[in-house]
Amino acid sequence: MPDFSILITHGVFHLFAALITLCSLMVVVSKHPVKSAVFLVVDLFLLAGLYASLDSHFVAAIQVLVYAGAILVLFLFVIMLLNLQPEELKGLKFSAVEAGTLVISLIGFLITIVTAFKGDQTGLGDGSLDPAAIETAGGNTYVVAMKLLTNYIWPFELASILILMAIVAAIVIAKKDQKKPAAQ
Amino acid sequence: MGLTADEFTIQFIATLIKFAIVAGLLLQIPPLMVWAERRIPAMMQRRKGPNRVGIFKWRIYGLMQSLADTIKLIFKEEVVPEGAQKAFYHLAPVFSVFPAFLIAMAIPYGPDIHAFGTIIPLSVIRVDVGFLFIFAVSSLAVYGITIAGWASNNKYSLLGSLRASAQMISYEIPLGMSLIPPVLIYGSLDLNKIVEAQNHFWKWGVFLSPLSFVLFLIAMFAETNRAPFDLAEAEGELVAGFHTEYTSAKFAAFFLGEYVGMFVLSCLASTMFFGGWQIPFIDVQKLDELTGFIGVSAIFGHVTLMLKATFFMWLYVWVRWTVPRFRYDQLMSLGWKYMIPLGLVNVVLTAVVLAAVRFS
Repeated sequence: MPDFSILITHGVFHLFAALITLCSLMVVVSKHPVKSAVFLVVDLFLLAGLYASLDSHFVAAIQVLVYAGAILVLFLFVIMLLNLQPEELKGLKFSAVEAGTLVISLIGFLITIVTAFKGDQTGLGDGSLDPAAIETAGGNTYVVAMKLLTNYIWPFELASILILMAIVAAIVIAKKDQKKPAAQ
Repeated sequence: MGLTADEFTIQFIATLIKFAIVAGLLLQIPPLMVWAERRIPAMMQRRKGPNRVGIFKWRIYGLMQSLADTIKLIFKEEVVPEGAQKAFYHLAPVFSVFPAFLIAMAIPYGPDIHAFGTIIPLSVIRVDVGFLFIFAVSSLAVYGITIAGWASNNKYSLLGSLRASAQMISYEIPLGMSLIPPVLIYGSLDLNKIVEAQNHFWKWGVFLSPLSFVLFLIAMFAETNRAPFDLAEAEGELVAGFHTEYTSAKFAAFFLGEYVGMFVLSCLASTMFFGGWQIPFIDVQKLDELTGFIGVSAIFGHVTLMLKATFFMWLYVWVRWTVPRFRYDQLMSLGWKYMIPLGLVNVVLTAVVLAAVRFS
């Protein structure tokens, strides 16, 4: 008898991988913006399933909570309120030069990132982050919290300040128009 | 995961059985709640409420009315409005039911069963981040409502869905924040461990962190769009809100999603603040050894949790027929100006007190 557990684990991975590829394709191919957004939600949800099958439940939960649950709702809101029709989007065309510049700069950005992080194997190389070690160290959430609040405390705090700045900026922009009629 | 092949097979079969039982249980909630929502207000207002429908001469206090209503809903004609976004219109009820059912799978319904040489947990999915899992999936519930309102091609539906989703997004924050203090106190995100830690009456979350419980209770009503926060379907203003254009079984599906959502939050309230499946002054986990039968503790624990959840379901109905509806600006200012700051203060205070206790 083949090992039942391995069979299922592999089956789950291939199922998720196929569905994710299909959904990602649908995000780009669909003509209707709302359809693209909904497929993106499903896509991110399935991606979380893939994380969960790798035993990193914390990342999976955060992935759904932040991306599928919060950010994509706002995407959907904006698309629905603007009521974009498929025909209106056809006007968005890049010239060959623009498209070429965009693609080249994107590739350059990717190469920069890959080279920047290639040598960086913080904590990965020494085997302290494989599933068994994480289990003995006190579980997923504990390990992530320890890494985030000790080794990576400065990037973590900087990121929260960045987000705070964005929130304040959004409020300032939104308040601007309201004050003018009151002053008159 | 450190399981042998045999254990894996047992767990796999057990999961399928548990899934069937929980799904079957959840499907019984809407009929019972519809009945309760007619009989309880009738009792409060000194009326009789529906008590006629029965099979032959057994009327069972009008409980058969729900059966009749269910049959009526399923066999009604289905009308799809013209100009609706067809695919989304049909999908929206699914989006609304799916998260509610998925969350219900993570609730610990009783203590672990030690049988067949392995430990069978009494929740369908046992994850070490159970608490986060519930919030992650419940944040998806907003899609069903948003898509339903938009796809119906009706202005009342769209307005209702916008109100509902804005409300759900706003109250998700205090709901999550109100549960952080109990998580800090019990030191785990695993719901079953949180229940196990509440093994004494005075260790219940409601006594250790009363402010969290008040915040959770308010956010719970808002998150399920129930009175006094039922602005999404304020019938005097919006006809029926996001499900105006839905008929027959799809309309019933929204009901199912709403009632299962209420049940899940009731279970969560019992789990985090009232000891879940723990019975005061009795060690539930020892009942197996005491009686000599496997599963006795599971049955007692499960019934206890259900009784606690029933109390909250009754509270939903009680509040609905007692308190008038809020205005929309009152709802938003309550959420953002009072509950979120209070929640933040509560988190910081709890953390400081805990740190002082542990490191002194």
